[in-house]
Amino acid sequence: MTDGSILGDLTVLDVSHEVPAAYCTKLLAALGARVIKVEPPSGDPLRAQGPFKDDLPNPETSGTFLYLNTAKQSVTLDPATPSGQALLAQLIAGADVLVEDFPPGTLAGWGLGFRVLAERDPGLICCAITPFGQDGPYRDYLLTEIIAQALGGLMYTIGLPEREPLKIGGSPALHNAGIAAFTAIMAAIWQRDLTGEGQQIDVSIQEATAFTQISSSLLAAWTGEPHGRRPSPMVAAQDGWVTLGLEMGVAADIWPRICELIGRPDLAEDARFSTTAYRRENRDAFNEIVDEWVRGQSKEAIYHRLQAMRTIAGYVATVEDLYANAHLRERGFFRELDHPVAGPARYPGMPFRIGDFPAVEARAPLLGEHNRAVYAGELGLAAAEIVQLYERGVL
Amino acid sequence: MSANASPRRALDRVRILDLSQVAIGPYTTLLLASLGAQVIKLESHTRGDTSRGPVTPVTATQLSLYPENDPGARPWNRTARYNQRNRGKLSVTANFATPGGKALVKRLVAVSDALVENFRASVLDRQGLGWEALRQVNPRLIYLKLSSQGATGPERDYGSLGSTLEQTAGIASVTGYTDGLPLMTNETYPDPVAAILGTGALIAGLRAVRQTGQGQFIDLSQREATVGLLGEAMMDFALNGRVAAPTGNRHPTMAPHGIFPCMGNSDQMEGNREQGTGKSGEQPNPQSAIRNPQSNDRWIAIAVQNDAQWQALRAAMGEPVWSQDERFATILGRTRHQDELEAQLARWTAGFDADELMHRLQRDGVPAGAVLDGATVVRDPQLVARGWFEQVTPTEVGRPYPMATPPWRMSGSAYAPLLPAPLLGEQNDLVFREILGLSEAEYEQYQRDGVISTEARW
Repeated sequence: MTDGSILGDLTVLDVSHEVPAAYCTKLLAALGARVIKVEPPSGDPLRAQGPFKDDLPNPETSGTFLYLNTAKQSVTLDPATPSGQALLAQLIAGADVLVEDFPPGTLAGWGLGFRVLAERDPGLICCAITPFGQDGPYRDYLLTEIIAQALGGLMYTIGLPEREPLKIGGSPALHNAGIAAFTAIMAAIWQRDLTGEGQQIDVSIQEATAFTQISSSLLAAWTGEPHGRRPSPMVAAQDGWVTLGLEMGVAADIWPRICELIGRPDLAEDARFSTTAYRRENRDAFNEIVDEWVRGQSKEAIYHRLQAMRTIAGYVATVEDLYANAHLRERGFFRELDHPVAGPARYPGMPFRIGDFPAVEARAPLLGEHNRAVYAGELGLAAAEIVQLYERGVL
Repeated sequence: MSANASPRRALDRVRILDLSQVAIGPYTTLLLASLGAQVIKLESHTRGDTSRGPVTPVTATQLSLYPENDPGARPWNRTARYNQRNRGKLSVTANFATPGGKALVKRLVAVSDALVENFRASVLDRQGLGWEALRQVNPRLIYLKLSSQGATGPERDYGSLGSTLEQTAGIASVTGYTDGLPLMTNETYPDPVAAILGTGALIAGLRAVRQTGQGQFIDLSQREATVGLLGEAMMDFALNGRVAAPTGNRHPTMAPHGIFPCMGNSDQMEGNREQGTGKSGEQPNPQSAIRNPQSNDRWIAIAVQNDAQWQALRAAMGEPVWSQDERFATILGRTRHQDELEAQLARWTAGFDADELMHRLQRDGVPAGAVLDGATVVRDPQLVARGWFEQVTPTEVGRPYPMATPPWRMSGSAYAPLLPAPLLGEQNDLVFREILGLSEAEYEQYQRDGVISTEARW
């Protein structure tokens, strides 16, 4: 620890193009690691991905890039050129952790494979995040979010029984693969602190996704029946959707109070609903009975009233509801960060807090913002050399 | 576990006291165990981990938790979920509602590096076993509190399951067909995600302790961890005030992009598939844009990222006349005419086996993946080649089941198959007598007082 942060003594080199590696190094940066993002001269492909501020495409205003690259530095180099590869080798020499997401074998093809790098620096931690891992028959197959959810066994259960399987919105599987890489790197750092030795980490996005289906594969083997798509348990409130959640974990003495709350104290005596297990089996009948009570109120009112009874009720929060949520506001979850091109915006904050160590919060870097500081200041390149590299399109 | 266990793993010599239950906590400590930590799972025999199921199962849903619907003599050692999530741990029992049980928890805290729990926010505080009390016992303790809503704030005592958390964390609001009805994963998706994150957070905490000598309280809100997955949608609101809604299987900049029907695959669990899907498969839904004419529930995901991949897909299809339509030549055109594009493509995919079509399209450079269900994912050639699922025979079950391994491979911390999940209280003797050093008389007194017992009574 050099600056009061947990990873303040470490430099992480992020040579990546996709969401998983970017989210991984965002978490490392929030814990204080110095993260240098290496971008091609045209910019990280994520800079070309929306949503853009005011819907105007601009490499400095991609919401995806801005969110995923908080508190990092940016340098540019073209790794397809020999000069670019030489610079990359120098940057790696100054790093404790390398995170990359090239197709398997790419770095080795440039003479920067793990074996070579480990020989030069036995303490180096190399983490590769790829669609299917570094080996196996699908090693060179292509993957996007929807392919991950399909081949991870995740999306088969999502959606309605009579319709096609449905993807979770956004790119949660890619983010989750980044979390897996983050955690493996933390374990490797802990081990290196003890032994001085680095190691190679192989994260497969397919496997990280398969880890998040925790019932399907298990229950298919256990019961002989695949876990399938099911009708939605949600009921419509005045302004959106809620799940009452009365078929799990409701204490027996609470049940009559819930019946009173919904204006049907008689239901406390109804055998169809007397236990959580029976309420699960007769959920549709119960939802029909409470339909009027639910429709008469806002989703959040129902959520708070049922949670006050120590249930697991839920309401469908939109992104707007999340930003307006008093609880998240009081916890200081959202952080306003200003950006010279995109302007100020409220960003979702660090997803965990460690007592005495506030997360490091800072805006994403401009493209090549740290070229001078890193190439001149640290690698010791002369001004003329840097100009030449720019002119040749390497930077 | 023991110091000479081979191979060497990252968290050898780290001891975790695990008071967690259900999913997020047990998954966190499962991953910690896989990294070599010694995990002591502590439950009360009067109130065990709810994944152990009821002591006396009654309803059909409850009976379905057991292999062949048979709860056996000790059902609490036999549920699928308990056995999946608790491999590689030691099980001890202490009723921590009693003074004796609290004393045992504190003695274990004194010899542990970290504690993991996922009760509602103030439950352990009320038991006198919260962070403020336990840091007095062990000033170097990492206390990882995994909770639905976080340890502070007006909703801190609210509870959830993964499924209802998908709603309050915004995931459900962007998941659904284009008719707008939000849907859930029918998994408990936020649980494993937050568990992977919690594992990394705990290790970060261990490093903080090593640097400062001071224990740390880690507050992980599952809701916040899940919102963290929604960067694009959150930022679209932050930058543009736009509220994301479900878009089905479509993508803003890729087309075609979706799920398309395929033929049945004769060698795969025919009976089960009919059982699982036959009833609903025969009810056509007039709203459904993409029907599976085979009624067999086999599908392929196809995601065309650019024009080159579209050309490759056209070539794979043999350049049918419809695909030469100029409206489909550019991404803009394909996006604008998606309904027609998808209907045409679905007619073509329906003639293929999903796995064969995936391999064929991937060889031609088109991102494609068969939609795997719980049975087929276990046989996926890639996961099989990498040995990702392992066969585990739970102690009181007696036949092997495939179980997930960690979502990473580490060259310096090789994964070794974990021992099956422990029986309730299986390591009472080892932990209380050998690790804590209780005398015979003390141990027997705790048993007489009903603090330690292996007979489930909940």
